[in-house]
Amino acid sequence: MRSLQLLGVLSLLLVAQESLAFKAHDFKTCSQSGFCRRGRALSARAKEAKSSWKSPYSVDPGSITVASDRATFTAGVKSSLYPDIKFGLELRVHDDGVVRVRMDEVGGIRKRYDEAAGWALIAEPTVSKDIKWTSGKKNIRAVYGEKKENEIVVVFEPLKISLLRNGKEQVVLNGQGLLHMEHFRTKTPEVTHTEEPAAQEGEEVIANSETQVVIKAENPRAWFEGDTEDDWWEETFSSWTDSKPKGPESLSLDISFPNHGTIYGIPQHATRLALPTTTGESPVFSDPYRLYNADVFEYLASSPVSIYGSIPVLHAHSVDSTVGIFDAVASETWIDVGRASEKSTETHWISESGILDLFLMPGPTPEDIFRQYSKLTGTPVLPAHWSLGYHQCRWNYVSSDDVRTVQKRFDQDDIPVDVFWLDIEYSEDHKYMIWDEKTFPDPVEMVNDVAALGRKMVVIVDPHLKRTSNYPVYQEASERGLLVKTKSANDEYEGWCWSGSSSWIDFFNPAAWEWWKGVFKTQKSAKGWSWTQSTEAVHIWNDMNEPSVFNGPEITMPKDNIHHGGWEHRDVHNINGMLFSNLTHQAVAARSDTPKRPFVLTRAFYAGSQRFGAMWTGDNLGTWEHMAVNVKMVLSINIAGMSYAGSDVGGFFGNPEPDMLVRWYQVGAFAPFFRAHAHIDTKRREPFLYDQPYKGMMRDMLRLRYSMLPVWYTAFRETTVTGVPVLRPHYVMFPKDPRGFDIDDQYYVGASGLLVKPITAKDVTETTVYLAEDQVYYDYFNHFAYRGATKGKDITVPAALHQIPLFIRGGSIVPTRERPRRSSTSMKNDPFTLRVALGKAGYARGDLYLDDGETYSHQKGQFVWREFIAEKPMKKGKTIRISSKDLGSAKPNEAVDGVTLKTFNPANEFAKSIGDVRVEKIIVLGITTKPTAVRIEGGEDLIWDYTPGVACSDKKEGIASVLTIKDPKVLITKDWAITIQW
Amino acid sequence: MIPWLLLLPLPIPVVAGAVDKTFGVRPDLVSKYTSLKSGNWKCLDGSKEIPWAYVNDDSCDCPDGSDEPGTGACPDTYFFCRNVGHIGASIPSSRVKDGLCEPECCDGSDERPGVCKNVCKEIGEEYRQKRDAERKIQKTGSKIRSSYITFAHKEKKRLEALIQSTAQEIESQEKEVARLKDIADRTESLSKAALEHKKQSPLYRSLLEHSNAIKSLQREHKKHLEREKALGEILDTLRTGYNPNYQDMAVLEAVRGWEELAGLPHINDVNKASSDSDDLGEDEGDEENKEETTEDVLDDGMWSAGKLDLELDILVASDYVSLLLEHEDHIRTPAEEGSILFDLTSYLPDNLIPQYEDFKDTLVSWLSKFGIIRAADDSSAADSSHATQAHNAAQRELQKLKTENKKAGDDLAELFNIHGFGAEGEWKKLDNTCLKKDTGDYTYEVCMFGEARQIPNKGGSTFSLGKFDSWNPSEDVKPGEPAYYQKQVFKHGTRCWNGPERNVVLLLTCGTENALLTVAELEKCEYQFTGTTPALCLPLDDNNSKDEL
Repeated sequence: MRSLQLLGVLSLLLVAQESLAFKAHDFKTCSQSGFCRRGRALSARAKEAKSSWKSPYSVDPGSITVASDRATFTAGVKSSLYPDIKFGLELRVHDDGVVRVRMDEVGGIRKRYDEAAGWALIAEPTVSKDIKWTSGKKNIRAVYGEKKENEIVVVFEPLKISLLRNGKEQVVLNGQGLLHMEHFRTKTPEVTHTEEPAAQEGEEVIANSETQVVIKAENPRAWFEGDTEDDWWEETFSSWTDSKPKGPESLSLDISFPNHGTIYGIPQHATRLALPTTTGESPVFSDPYRLYNADVFEYLASSPVSIYGSIPVLHAHSVDSTVGIFDAVASETWIDVGRASEKSTETHWISESGILDLFLMPGPTPEDIFRQYSKLTGTPVLPAHWSLGYHQCRWNYVSSDDVRTVQKRFDQDDIPVDVFWLDIEYSEDHKYMIWDEKTFPDPVEMVNDVAALGRKMVVIVDPHLKRTSNYPVYQEASERGLLVKTKSANDEYEGWCWSGSSSWIDFFNPAAWEWWKGVFKTQKSAKGWSWTQSTEAVHIWNDMNEPSVFNGPEITMPKDNIHHGGWEHRDVHNINGMLFSNLTHQAVAARSDTPKRPFVLTRAFYAGSQRFGAMWTGDNLGTWEHMAVNVKMVLSINIAGMSYAGSDVGGFFGNPEPDMLVRWYQVGAFAPFFRAHAHIDTKRREPFLYDQPYKGMMRDMLRLRYSMLPVWYTAFRETTVTGVPVLRPHYVMFPKDPRGFDIDDQYYVGASGLLVKPITAKDVTETTVYLAEDQVYYDYFNHFAYRGATKGKDITVPAALHQIPLFIRGGSIVPTRERPRRSSTSMKNDPFTLRVALGKAGYARGDLYLDDGETYSHQKGQFVWREFIAEKPMKKGKTIRISSKDLGSAKPNEAVDGVTLKTFNPANEFAKSIGDVRVEKIIVLGITTKPTAVRIEGGEDLIWDYTPGVACSDKKEGIASVLTIKDPKVLITKDWAITIQW
Repeated sequence: MIPWLLLLPLPIPVVAGAVDKTFGVRPDLVSKYTSLKSGNWKCLDGSKEIPWAYVNDDSCDCPDGSDEPGTGACPDTYFFCRNVGHIGASIPSSRVKDGLCEPECCDGSDERPGVCKNVCKEIGEEYRQKRDAERKIQKTGSKIRSSYITFAHKEKKRLEALIQSTAQEIESQEKEVARLKDIADRTESLSKAALEHKKQSPLYRSLLEHSNAIKSLQREHKKHLEREKALGEILDTLRTGYNPNYQDMAVLEAVRGWEELAGLPHINDVNKASSDSDDLGEDEGDEENKEETTEDVLDDGMWSAGKLDLELDILVASDYVSLLLEHEDHIRTPAEEGSILFDLTSYLPDNLIPQYEDFKDTLVSWLSKFGIIRAADDSSAADSSHATQAHNAAQRELQKLKTENKKAGDDLAELFNIHGFGAEGEWKKLDNTCLKKDTGDYTYEVCMFGEARQIPNKGGSTFSLGKFDSWNPSEDVKPGEPAYYQKQVFKHGTRCWNGPERNVVLLLTCGTENALLTVAELEKCEYQFTGTTPALCLPLDDNNSKDEL
């Protein structure tokens, strides 16, 4: 207990120091959350008891039933504490080796929430056909996998579930004996007395723990459960009281990784990518990681505090393997992380409600984990191509003329931009979709003026509806009974948000879905109100969907609010935000006859949100610390399945100095989602407002982003199929290199071979970049060839304000489009440049994916997918052959997410529409000798220029040799080959 | 290996529809687009020589991008469209062959053939119509402007006349002051001692003490009032402008508290439809009225707030010396006696009055001789005060004249100042002309060379958005040139809650009326107004307009 007290003091100190911006008092610490306090107390008791601790839960061997599919078994579980209470355990093995573990109370007086997985999963997973459970006296086990390398073992007493690989423990559940499913009980004074004779109301845990020894004899369960009904039936935080009608129902489970010393995931937290500890000796954070979607004002740059979204997925990594778990829980969850040794990790998951529904992903590589996780919750959606361009936002562009002026200023300075955004002030009294006629008298004309230059608009629609009779959206939702209810289950819940007194649509109610789709129609509808004052060029930003409630507990909804189906808000909180963006995504897609890919940005998210659009890291600060941690957060979100992520360029709060803003554009240009945004109190900071050299630096960075749109789009295609994220941290690229496990400030973009390290500190002129392999890396801009080493190597590279360290990994071919344009839509017919970065063996490859960028015709085979290869046809020959071939025909089933094409026609309609798009330049880096001829195979000689320099195969560093082939005029949709001879 | 040196590659086969070498070249540069004798061409910056065939081959070769005037292949260059039938124009290379028809290139030459129609005829017609309309406005406006200039010249004459007349008046007034000073000095030297004695009167000293106390109280009171006003303004700003993003319910409480205290309606009220909140406002208004009526019941002789406001200043500004002397007079004539002796006339028949007056004079002199009535023996003190007052009044008049004279001089100097009313004085007419714009919640007002204000239409405080500070302060703009007068800056308005002082930038263009067109708060507390004024309508320059065609 002493350690707990110490922790308490530490956390108080932390809070006191950090309370300047972040309002710590608005949010609970673990010690202020009843069930988390109970969970941590349980863990503390177990630690104290050491080896004498034994989990009270056990499997009743006689109850084991293997289902007819052979991959599933069920069994009864009992707790020695409550012999009369029954629990049911179910394990099933999926066809990809993922093990699903479910446990629920059976025949309880209430039902635990069991629908979280239903919202997160894309489909009911198919079970394995090759599994055979073998039941013994002490355990039941199954061996599976191609080489029978995986084994799942369920030990009966005490209950312990282990996933092994080649005999090595990968994941162990309840190995520490912290499993505890609080069963439903009835609140009666009698029960209270018999269960805890010494209970005194309002007493602190710590105080009580001191009397524990005395009570022990009287309360046989105190050794495990503690001796008080600590916040069982009611919980007060600040001025809010949670009525807790269902009483205690929390779930505690320890999940250990005995052979994995590094863990990643469980976003969203402002932390490093490799998660620091929260328990054990000198933990980095004193509180557990919390998952409870929350609108945290000015969140801290390093903290386990929960913020806007929650994805309960975790990767445990070592040089030997990567394993993962996905905990399909939607209620508030706290996760303690400890490390008994450098090579093992113990986690403790404490959730407020819901069944145990856990997916164990066996890996064994990071890519396997991505595949296994995306098979459960889906891959990221393929974004509309334009949405990978630059988004210009501000709270607020104040009028339709303001929008027009901003567009004009971008064009005057020839700075590319694709999307202009409107924050909440476009709406009359914050009634979303109702334009403020004083400032936006001509919204459709305004949107058309933006769309006339090939651009789009994104307009905010928040989930809180102003409670007023002159707001048709609220009126219709109210009349149809689609709003979230108070604990009475009858009255509309009323809370405070931007629009003043507001109510929230309950998207758990299927009746809300069709209605919401109707709202977004741009034509008048007989069924109800529709947004006729919008066009198909308008896309949507869903903010505040945690949900944020200004006068609610922890700035969100009371947990005893009631959703559709009678579930309490506590049961569904973390999923709530996802449903809103999910339905908005569907509604935007459904508004046009030829469905076009919607763009929906969401702030709150959950496992599965990747299927519905982009997220951003919320209301960050214009500080270097936030810039740095936002890079790590975006990486963390990427490995948790949501590639389409970014942070507000410039920082939402504050007025960044020009140099910081330049750096932030560098960060943004290499984030999947690239948007500048600013708080209403800030000075305007659009790039055109700055003096040189800053304006030029920002423009260069924007143009660099646009030139690389082919790379981003190609990377997105890949992730929609494989789930491997667009941003790839080192451990994903080099899982066996322990030096890279903690690296989270440099990363690779898709499979392009581009390695980037954005600078996130002031006055930097050079930096070190880690190269994990024995390969040549070329500076993207000056072609300097750096060399890594098998054991890893730090290189020092220039990084002045105008420079972003960006490298092409030897062995890559990078396709770009280098003609500056006003927006991405104007690049459709532009020619390509290919950068061929020869690897040390003289080989390089790359791919390029293109489609119309906005419809779903790619699902019908309307796309172009090419592979470029540079190789020596003969090992000792004096020729390099660069060729382009069709990948669509070679891999028709791997091209498009979820689509099995029987055949692929490389001369499809889309390919024809860009039939004359050519390659205008090829830059070959690292060629060994000056060529004598460069010619199209079977065609004429080409014009070229050669600058001697370091060759790919050299040992030394220096500017690489550069061969520039002028306008080979080879077509991007056609097969071709170019030979370079010397 | 093929043993040949690759000095120059084989010529590229001529692609069908190859681009003309001077395509997209500005007329003044066309002569530079000819091949050298060597068959090469030198990039315009002289940095490189390239084969003539590389010009306009849709592949960038020159570092300055000059080899691709017509294709857009080189970044940050310009493409010239001839726009026959209209005016030629240059567009950035980023817009060449981007699939969009540029309005600047009405001939459609910026896109592949067939993408854009040649609309130069229509565009040219439109342009001419628009330009004619603009010229009409400018013409009408310039007439008004010249009337402003005339006004300035009249004003100049008036001021000059005023300066002259006041100068004369000053001269004579100075003489008068000197004369009165002489009298005052002389009378004062006689009476100073006597007055000093009177000033020792406990009553007078106490009066002074009271006066000082009242003044001090008044000062303190004013301080508090100002403080209260400032607090009220802060709270008003908080109320109308608080940023709910801080999600701070404490701020909300403060706003609600202030509304109750100040009797304001709830802003953004939630539960109620707007009609309800109006009712609420009225209710609170009634309460306020009630309070006022209770305040109206005052003890006898107590001053009401209104009276305090209006009359306290006058009271404390009383001339105590005069009062002292009046007091002397008053004491010298006791009430009873006065009522008998002095009011006796009212009881006497008219025909007896002259005799009575004689009698009274005799009687009074007797009485004073016996010391019953103190004679007006030291009336010199009063005389001295009167003389001083006359001198002071004359002095004030002189000062007023001098001020008037100086102001006229200053005004005259400002009249044709390029930093003030413009080189031609065309802005003088608009000095303190106020333009208004009702935007629904607020009416915005800007008084030229004065103050800009935000006046709420539904109650609440009016905020200053700043006072005139300068014309266009941009370093790129020279004082006196037209762009200088297209922007007025107003600074140091009321400070925003949790923010900076309010400022206004007023952007003006030529128009036939003085009008405020738009108001926008582009960022917090930074307002942008746009408006029109004839003062910016320069006379049409016929030569220039012809050149444009």
